[in-house]
Amino acid sequence: MTGDLERRYRRVLRLLPGWYRQQWEQDMVAAFLDSWLTGDREADEYISKVAGPSWAEVTSVAVLAVRLHLAGPGTPRRSAWGQAIRRAVLAVALMHALLAVNVLVFLMWGRRLVGWLPAPPASLVVAPGGVWDMVYYLVCLAWIVIFLTLAFGHYRTARVLAVPAIVPGVVALLQAQLTGIMPAPFGPWIFWVLVDFAPVLAMTAFHRDAPPTAPRPWLLALPAGYVLVYGPLLALQVTGNFGWLPDFSGLCCILVSLACLAHAPRARSRQATGPGLWSLTLVLLAAVAGAYRIVTLTDYLHDPHLINVSLVELLIVLAAVALVAPDAARALAATPAPPPPRPRTMAT
Amino acid sequence: MTGQAFFVLTALADGPRHGYGIVGEVAELSQDRVKLKIGSLYGVLERLAAEGLIEPDREEAHDGRLRRYYRLTRDGRRALAEEAELRAATARVVRARLRLTGAQATG
Repeated sequence: MTGDLERRYRRVLRLLPGWYRQQWEQDMVAAFLDSWLTGDREADEYISKVAGPSWAEVTSVAVLAVRLHLAGPGTPRRSAWGQAIRRAVLAVALMHALLAVNVLVFLMWGRRLVGWLPAPPASLVVAPGGVWDMVYYLVCLAWIVIFLTLAFGHYRTARVLAVPAIVPGVVALLQAQLTGIMPAPFGPWIFWVLVDFAPVLAMTAFHRDAPPTAPRPWLLALPAGYVLVYGPLLALQVTGNFGWLPDFSGLCCILVSLACLAHAPRARSRQATGPGLWSLTLVLLAAVAGAYRIVTLTDYLHDPHLINVSLVELLIVLAAVALVAPDAARALAATPAPPPPRPRTMAT
Repeated sequence: MTGQAFFVLTALADGPRHGYGIVGEVAELSQDRVKLKIGSLYGVLERLAAEGLIEPDREEAHDGRLRRYYRLTRDGRRALAEEAELRAATARVVRARLRLTGAQATG
């Protein structure tokens, strides 16, 4: 009688991990059906035909599914993935923060807000902007705060700030798409999906049972990263060597490749501690950088030189990640897959 | 302890309840301010069970489907009492401050 309704709910529950469904699905279906059925045979038959999960119910199951997939109870393998994802999210937030610091430094320098600095080259002068510029600067500030709150372990605050921080980006993209002023077909969208949306979604891996992050190395990474990443880029800009400046996806490929190269000796050493978690993190970051590079190739179809440069960047990141991938695979192989859960013993 | 977990434990304080029964009880306790979706409820139940604060009580057949009832464990009862005390103490501090600032504002 209630088969149709039950089937619709079971379809939604397929979002949940198998081990969780084995334990909870039956009970969840009963609760869903309880929320609809009245006990009156005719009414229930009608309800079963027309009713189904609301968007709010589907969303609540989807949110639970994301949390369980990213941060389910601690089997070693899941814990390894969880830690790698948390480090990858912190790395992306660091990249956002570096970008933001750079934007704000240029803003202050370009508008001569710091009197003792020499006048910037004409190419770096920032003209006064409108409302969108103001929103952009606020988003930049927000990413610095998000990175710091994540590093200090205030995960909930970081999540709350991150959601509004990615909204202006998608609004601007929609506006550009609808008004036909989108500079490239896919690049800006894939930037938003991979570098804004996915990390914010993955912030669910920072659950309250997650082991705390050591803030010191991440806090040091902000000034050090700025000097190491944007120092050379600034030098190229100031000296007018714009042809050597990589685009953002190229920069991501170069940075991930350098990180893989720096980590490779440790990954290959048998004395390495923390079994392959950094290798796993770098594999995740390389996958993001590689995907971003592949999609943005389509932005350069008109320019064979840029296509060649992009392909070289892609090859470099592939070669670099190959150095740490075996260590990442060992880390996962060393941790057994979760055993199938036993049914709970129920008191009767 | 999150607000949802607090309400779920409170809903189980006077006896075992099944999933949808907990949803209804939480809505009543909170005067409809907290309306738990089933996905959210089972996220909370799974966490509370993992922390040993609740446990399955029994299963009962109802209109051809099994309803699983949950009850508080001893640790759950203790955690709920501590949380209630903490919230009450916080409320006392807030009320005292409000009285103080109210008196200053009118004085």
